[in-house]
Amino acid sequence: MHAGAFRLRALTAGLAVIMGCSACGASPPDAGTLLKQSSQRMLNLKGFHFQMMISGFSGSSVPVQNAAGDARPPDLRAKVNLKEGGLLLEVEVVFAAGGVYLKSFTGGWQQLSDQELAQFFDARSLFDSTAGLFAAMRDTATPARGSVERISGHDTYPIAGSVPAARMHRLLDPIRDQGTYQVTYWIESDNADLWRARLSGKLFDASRAATIDFNFSNHDQAVSVSPPPLG
Amino acid sequence: MIRPFPSARLRSVNRPALLTLTGAGLFLAALDAYVVVTVLVNASDPRASILTSLNIPVNHFERATPIITGFLLGYLAAMPLAGGLSDRFGRLRIFSLCMTLFALGSLLTATAPSLGQLVTGRLLQGAGGGALVPAVLALAADLYPAGNRSPVLGAVSALQEIGSVLGPLWGGLIAGMLGWTWIFWINLPLAGLILWALWPQMRIAGEPTQPAHLDWLGVGLATAGLAFLTLALYAANPEQSPVGEGFLWQAPLAVVFFALFVWRERRAPHPLINVRRFRDSSFSGSALTNAIAGAGLMVALVYIPVLANAVFSMNATGAALLLLRLMVGIPIGALLGGWLAQQLRSYRVVAAAGLILAAVGFLLLSGWNEGSLGPHLLGSPIRVADAQLFLTGLGLGIEIAPVSAALLDAVGEAERGAGASFLIVMRLIGMLVGFSLVAGFGLWAFHRATAQLIPPVGLNPTAYALYIVQFKQAIFDEYHLIFRATAIALVIGALLAAATLRPLPRPRWR
Repeated sequence: MHAGAFRLRALTAGLAVIMGCSACGASPPDAGTLLKQSSQRMLNLKGFHFQMMISGFSGSSVPVQNAAGDARPPDLRAKVNLKEGGLLLEVEVVFAAGGVYLKSFTGGWQQLSDQELAQFFDARSLFDSTAGLFAAMRDTATPARGSVERISGHDTYPIAGSVPAARMHRLLDPIRDQGTYQVTYWIESDNADLWRARLSGKLFDASRAATIDFNFSNHDQAVSVSPPPLG
Repeated sequence: MIRPFPSARLRSVNRPALLTLTGAGLFLAALDAYVVVTVLVNASDPRASILTSLNIPVNHFERATPIITGFLLGYLAAMPLAGGLSDRFGRLRIFSLCMTLFALGSLLTATAPSLGQLVTGRLLQGAGGGALVPAVLALAADLYPAGNRSPVLGAVSALQEIGSVLGPLWGGLIAGMLGWTWIFWINLPLAGLILWALWPQMRIAGEPTQPAHLDWLGVGLATAGLAFLTLALYAANPEQSPVGEGFLWQAPLAVVFFALFVWRERRAPHPLINVRRFRDSSFSGSALTNAIAGAGLMVALVYIPVLANAVFSMNATGAALLLLRLMVGIPIGALLGGWLAQQLRSYRVVAAAGLILAAVGFLLLSGWNEGSLGPHLLGSPIRVADAQLFLTGLGLGIEIAPVSAALLDAVGEAERGAGASFLIVMRLIGMLVGFSLVAGFGLWAFHRATAQLIPPVGLNPTAYALYIVQFKQAIFDEYHLIFRATAIALVIGALLAAATLRPLPRPRWR
């Protein structure tokens, strides 16, 4: 091959690489920055839809199998599936205007007092601006970014790290406060929307593993929750 | 609908092998017709519960309704077409297509992560399974000459009936051992084996095809009418309404489709059913009675296992065995009904007596409470509950022969095949409509009864125990209402049969 032709070919290839890279867009932000951006974004949303699923060992203290609803923290409404004696039963909960309301297996809505609520766990802490999941994103240690994954039709970066168990115990009271847990967040790079979060480890029992998955959608679609009619 | 065509080549093939293989396929599909009833709810084993796997809470049982109605709808849509399709494309080709459809439906059902896929799977299973019936009957008719085919046709029909009766037990056993998805996984290798074994026969048979008259428009109109009726009656939110939210537009639309169907059938050169026959009171009376009996059977099929699981805390096998007590009564009743009608030379008396017996059975079942499975019958090992279940099945069985015979007598020799298919169609329509109505109204009544029953929040065991007692009582009240309503429907069926069925014709030798 002529040296000139080779140079031309190398130049073309180099140009193609440069053009290709510029087409890719700017390189994604580092994991820590993206986590902070996403945390900020999620805390400022006008509303979002969420799903929560617990799998693995959840123990008798957490009869919740899964929940789905809409939230604008601290207000939210959700349908919650509880496991009672091997059967799934659905209840509805509303947290609105400082009150907690429950529509159980039968009958209408009732308002729960603080003592009554204390017998379950207070789900408001899940998305609380200081104790909740979005605030915990900033406390994730050694975050590492993986390659792009498509979640709910959106390109996201999975960012894996660990969080102290005590921090997660604040998020959800039945979670044990010993050791650390693994957590992964799937964050859309363009707008820092959080689409999925997965917490895993021996969450409810020192000897058995469990996973909590959160899925989010309808980011920033306004949600307004009002107290339901009682009775 | 079933038009046997003579084929020397088809008759030259291994007839017993062909019938055994296609019969096995028919039996496999028949097993799955009501297989889900014992595996919907299961408190002791989540693997054996479809509802738990699909994350459907038991206090929203209405979400499970399409699992049952989907199969029936698929069956009803495909069955009327299959006879004509097998005329046109060949019995074995249509059989293979149906088995493949059934297997695909089974795969979708077994792997369903969501209710939508499960219902689609059941719909395809129903379409494949429903279309198998006329295809196999027509094949049997092709293989044997006119004077010799009735025992073979009888055996094929019996396979279908026995399969559907054993289905709930089969489902309960498999789900109890391996989990509910295996009920459907098992179909894949079995269907594959049948098709593989049939392949050489298909090549030998080299089936001829012939032009056949397929009333696509008629089937389309009838299916659309049924689909809208099912939607109209589907109470997706029984807390608010006993029927569907779109009832006010879907029900009239269903009526419009049915009217168009009748209009079409009156003009079609080769109608699916000769609608002019409805002017004959014996024909329309037996058709309606058959539908009412189908509805009664469906109520028993669904609610006895659910009661067993949810209130008597039985596992899938236990629920299936409880239901079996009713199911064994059906074939015994069917034989008895045929014999009695012949002896008494009356369809109306025997059909009405069977339906009244079934109504009494439902009334007895409607008195069940938590302790009802305990007492034994006069110190014997048989429990009172067993006898009540058997009696109900016996009554439902007794009406089958006289009602079917009355309809077949009314249509005459030339339309007997179409008449036999119409009997199955009417029974399934009764099942579909009856179950949809009962499910919606039952749950609606349950929600009304528990509207003020708010469970106590807290750790007061006495208050909670009291709530559980009241909650179970509300479930029993719902069942009592459903079973009493079914008893009333069966009495109406008995009156209808008594008023309309013609006596047996004199035997004529031809």
